[in-house]
Amino acid sequence: MAWNDPQWGNNGNRNKNSGPPDLDELWRRLNQRLNGMFGNRNTEGGGGFSSGGAGGGNLLGLLLGALFLVWVASGFYIVDTGQRGVVLRFGKYIETTEPGPRWHLPWPIESREIVNIDQVRTVEIGYRNNVKSKVLRESLMLTDDENIIDLQFAVQYILKDPEEFLFVNRAPEDTVLQVAETAMREIVGKNKMDFVLYEGRAEIATRAKVLMQQILDRYKTGISISQVTLQNIQPPEQVQAAFDDAVKAGQDRERLKNEAEAYSNDVVPRASGLASRLKEEAAGYKQAVIANAEGEASRFSQIVTEYQKAPQVTRQRMYLDTMQTVMNNTSKVVVDQKGGNSLLYLPLDKLQQIANQPSSGASDALLQPPVAATPTPPAPVDLRSRDALRSRDREDRP
Amino acid sequence: MNKYTAPILIGLVVVLVILSGSMFTVDQRQNALVFQLGEVVSVKKKPGLYFKLPLVQNVRYFDTRILTLDAAEPERFITSEKKNVLVDSYIKWRVIDARQFYVSVGGDETRAQIRLNQTVNDGLRAEFGKRTIHDVVSGQRDKVMDLIRTKADQDARSIGVQVVDVRIKRVDLPESVSENVYRRMEAERKQVANELRSTGAAEAEKIKADADRQKQVIVAEAYRDAQRVKGEGDAKASAIYAVAYDKNPEFYAFYRSMQAYRESFKNKSDVMVLDPSADFFKYMKNPRAAGGK
Repeated sequence: MAWNDPQWGNNGNRNKNSGPPDLDELWRRLNQRLNGMFGNRNTEGGGGFSSGGAGGGNLLGLLLGALFLVWVASGFYIVDTGQRGVVLRFGKYIETTEPGPRWHLPWPIESREIVNIDQVRTVEIGYRNNVKSKVLRESLMLTDDENIIDLQFAVQYILKDPEEFLFVNRAPEDTVLQVAETAMREIVGKNKMDFVLYEGRAEIATRAKVLMQQILDRYKTGISISQVTLQNIQPPEQVQAAFDDAVKAGQDRERLKNEAEAYSNDVVPRASGLASRLKEEAAGYKQAVIANAEGEASRFSQIVTEYQKAPQVTRQRMYLDTMQTVMNNTSKVVVDQKGGNSLLYLPLDKLQQIANQPSSGASDALLQPPVAATPTPPAPVDLRSRDALRSRDREDRP
Repeated sequence: MNKYTAPILIGLVVVLVILSGSMFTVDQRQNALVFQLGEVVSVKKKPGLYFKLPLVQNVRYFDTRILTLDAAEPERFITSEKKNVLVDSYIKWRVIDARQFYVSVGGDETRAQIRLNQTVNDGLRAEFGKRTIHDVVSGQRDKVMDLIRTKADQDARSIGVQVVDVRIKRVDLPESVSENVYRRMEAERKQVANELRSTGAAEAEKIKADADRQKQVIVAEAYRDAQRVKGEGDAKASAIYAVAYDKNPEFYAFYRSMQAYRESFKNKSDVMVLDPSADFFKYMKNPRAAGGK
């Protein structure tokens, strides 16, 4: 701007022919307008002013001209990206201007308001700044089934119509808060608690957004809701424990089922295993039994063949072999019953005890029964087992 | 200095003063009333530049934007089931007839709001009294709001005001009732929890029982098959034995007896009481005894 140039003041006189002509021009026009307004009363004076005022007139003219330019310049304004300028002429809406440098007729004819429309604004309901700092008055809501839930949410919005935003509502941004509250409460009030708390979260947010937009449009706020975010939905603190327990119960249920499944998965395969074992054992048994039978049958057949060659001897041999084995392995008492008819006392239990004593090497020693069945007192019999042995030992050791 | 300069400047100032006194603008957001000596002579509803007589006429502006009346404290109403509820609502209203607004409430927004508030509260009280909590919270919320808005709007016209909307924000239960609600919610949750746990136990039991059943069936079937196989084995073995032993049944009896004796008397604890006259001992008595019996 040349008017602010420092050389202007210094060289004012020298440049009066080249520099200021447009200034003079402006001044002249202003004068003409003023003259027009005053009904040409000052035509002569004005004329004299412009033509004759060579020295003082010029100075005053410059001053007024500068003021005029400043006045004109006050009509410049810049609309940033994301903003809109709204121009009013004598208070009446004229136009909305797009981003860029703009000019309007200066005050008091026109005025401007700059509105940031793309800036995302946020309203928090039920909390401030942090979800932990709750505002219970806002966050507690009644549901359809007359339960109370604690809900915090945030609303983000931008402006879609700067004109409506400016002119229709007095406090449009407060309106968002009010509308958000009433809309959310209406939606929550129409739904059951379980729906709001669990499966319906996304739907609640969407429906609240739609309703809020409807209401805001009805008020012509020029606001467009871009997002409703549910920060936190939970039962009130007073009943939190019970709700947690219910959730835990759900998990318990799953756990019980899983444990039962685990049991089932353990038992059934084991049973199958056992079944296989039984079957295999049976198969094994079958084969074994048959094999045994075949073996025994074969053995018998062979023996029979030999037996038939010499039945008498074979029979005798087998009998004696068997008896020998039997006698070898058992304790024996030989009693001649024919010889005497008197009572014979045999302490069978004692004999068995002796037989069972592991170290008793003498167990199969042949007890010498009384050949003549003279009645014997019990004591000797009692002693006989050991004493007899000892006495025999003594006898053997001459 | 030019001799005309001073008078011109003075004249200019005078003109400006007169102009400023005779011109006024009405903003987009306003309506204006022009008074002449206290009497309303015209209403300016359109924004723009207007003229008036200086000094004699004066102008008063009224905001025609939508205003909000949001009660600071919730009102207490009684529903048809005689329950107390705390209701918080807001009213959206605007001045549509500035003259009427001025005449009836002196152009005072506060007075207008008091009036509106009364109307709306009366309406709400009446409507709540006819309905249950459930209705006002959920089912007929819209209807109640519509009714109140219509009624309040009709009434507000008399003070030059349009009621744009009446909306219920909160319908809350008083503190003491809230406690009861919490208790009930707790009880309900407990019920749910118990149900979950018991159905869980039941299902678990079912699964376990089913597993046990499967186990029994599997084992029993296996046992059946096993027995069948064993039986087959036994049968076959018997057949084999029968074929073999049938060659000499008498010798079989002897042979088998010998085996049985051997097997039966192999324990030291077996005690045999023998008669020396038995065949086995015959050579003990008489070495020259004849063989055989």
